[in-house]
Amino acid sequence: MRGFKALIAGLCGLVLAGCASTPPTPEQIANNDPYEATNRQTMVFNGKIDRYVVIPTVGVYFLLVPEGGRRGVHNFLGNLSLPTIFVNDLLQGEVKRAGQSAARLVINTGFGFGGFFDPARKMGIPGHGEDFGQTLSVWGAGEGPYLILPFFGPSNPRDTSGLVTDALIDPTNFIRFKQHLWWAGTREYFTYLDLRGQTYQTIQGVQRSSVDYYSSLRSLYRQLRNNDIRNGHPDTSQDLPDF
Amino acid sequence: MAERLAMASMNKNLPRRGVLALGLALGAMSWMGLPAFAAGSVAENFVEKNVQKGLAVLNNKSLSTEQRRTQFETLLLGLTDLKRIADFTLGQYRRTASPADVAAFEAAFQNYAVAVYQSYFANYAGQTLKVTGSQARSADDFIVQTVLINPGDRSGQPPLQVDFRVRTDTGKPTVTDFSVSGIFLALEERDQFTSFLGQNGGNVRLLITHLNDLAKQFKN
Repeated sequence: MRGFKALIAGLCGLVLAGCASTPPTPEQIANNDPYEATNRQTMVFNGKIDRYVVIPTVGVYFLLVPEGGRRGVHNFLGNLSLPTIFVNDLLQGEVKRAGQSAARLVINTGFGFGGFFDPARKMGIPGHGEDFGQTLSVWGAGEGPYLILPFFGPSNPRDTSGLVTDALIDPTNFIRFKQHLWWAGTREYFTYLDLRGQTYQTIQGVQRSSVDYYSSLRSLYRQLRNNDIRNGHPDTSQDLPDF
Repeated sequence: MAERLAMASMNKNLPRRGVLALGLALGAMSWMGLPAFAAGSVAENFVEKNVQKGLAVLNNKSLSTEQRRTQFETLLLGLTDLKRIADFTLGQYRRTASPADVAAFEAAFQNYAVAVYQSYFANYAGQTLKVTGSQARSADDFIVQTVLINPGDRSGQPPLQVDFRVRTDTGKPTVTDFSVSGIFLALEERDQFTSFLGQNGGNVRLLITHLNDLAKQFKN
């Protein structure tokens, strides 16, 4: 189900990108954003979904579920992602990090009540994120032009195909049971709530301080992804401009 | 720093020939790499001392809003080179803008940066900064890595990573950019300012108006 949704979203993004009516300006090409006009329209659409659907439900979630409960949900969702992270760790040749992901999955599922608690962190095994978009980058794939996907937000062809592949890797998608559709939908919904709840203040701050929110978001997304690909290590390459 | 401590502890147990070898090695290091090490620790000390001061200003509840703003501005101007950052954020439009527009932009940027940076750092009031190391990009360009430790945090999340880019090419250390979780602020500002100027025919005056409006909103 998640794979199907991600695939549809990816295709929508690519189709919309292809529908850009005006040719890209030299500025857009320099920013590696030839579909800027379409991306801006998609951002407006996503903004309406965010404002009228996501934010109100985040408000209700924060009102009904205390901080400890929200932390438990966050841990549980993180635990569900660990098999995918483990596979990507291995694909990137990060054996130590793969070991950490496997250990976290076993410890938190077994001793953390199915992942609602995080005893692994207390035992000195920190968590981390990985996805197939990052794996593709480690393998040498370029990001491609900037895209804003409907519902999913900032992306690029590399990360979009990573999103689809991660959904295909996720073992929970292969578990067949009667209520699978409800399970997948609820998981997706709570992932949104958790992410948006955590980023609410940050995004508000960016919107408040931006001269152009679209290009600010584009820069933030690219920098954040590059930081994820470097596993949080500082950029000592020559990519940082000299000034 | 860690390398020096390791060498100091090794020194106690070294035989005579070992001391000679170490002397030669240190001699070679001082010629090749030691100035970078020294400059790295200068950059680390500079960040630790000044950012801690900035957090102390923001944490000082006895100050009025205006006093806090003035003290933070004074500290920020001593810590960073806002003119240099402003010129960078104009990107390619720096070359085509008139000197009067560039000067007006630098003033507006300073006003904007003080308001926005104060707002960013106010989110971390009550936290302490710990320098965890530094990396040299070149002989006068360092990334000083720090973490912000929140004593009241019970979320179990790792502390926030804040890196400072310190340049020493003008003879004294200067912060030219800082990043939170890998996002460098001056880079982000350059990306949005140049995009804005691209959409508005390179009209720097319009950008100045927007920056002044934003600064005003942050101050209210």
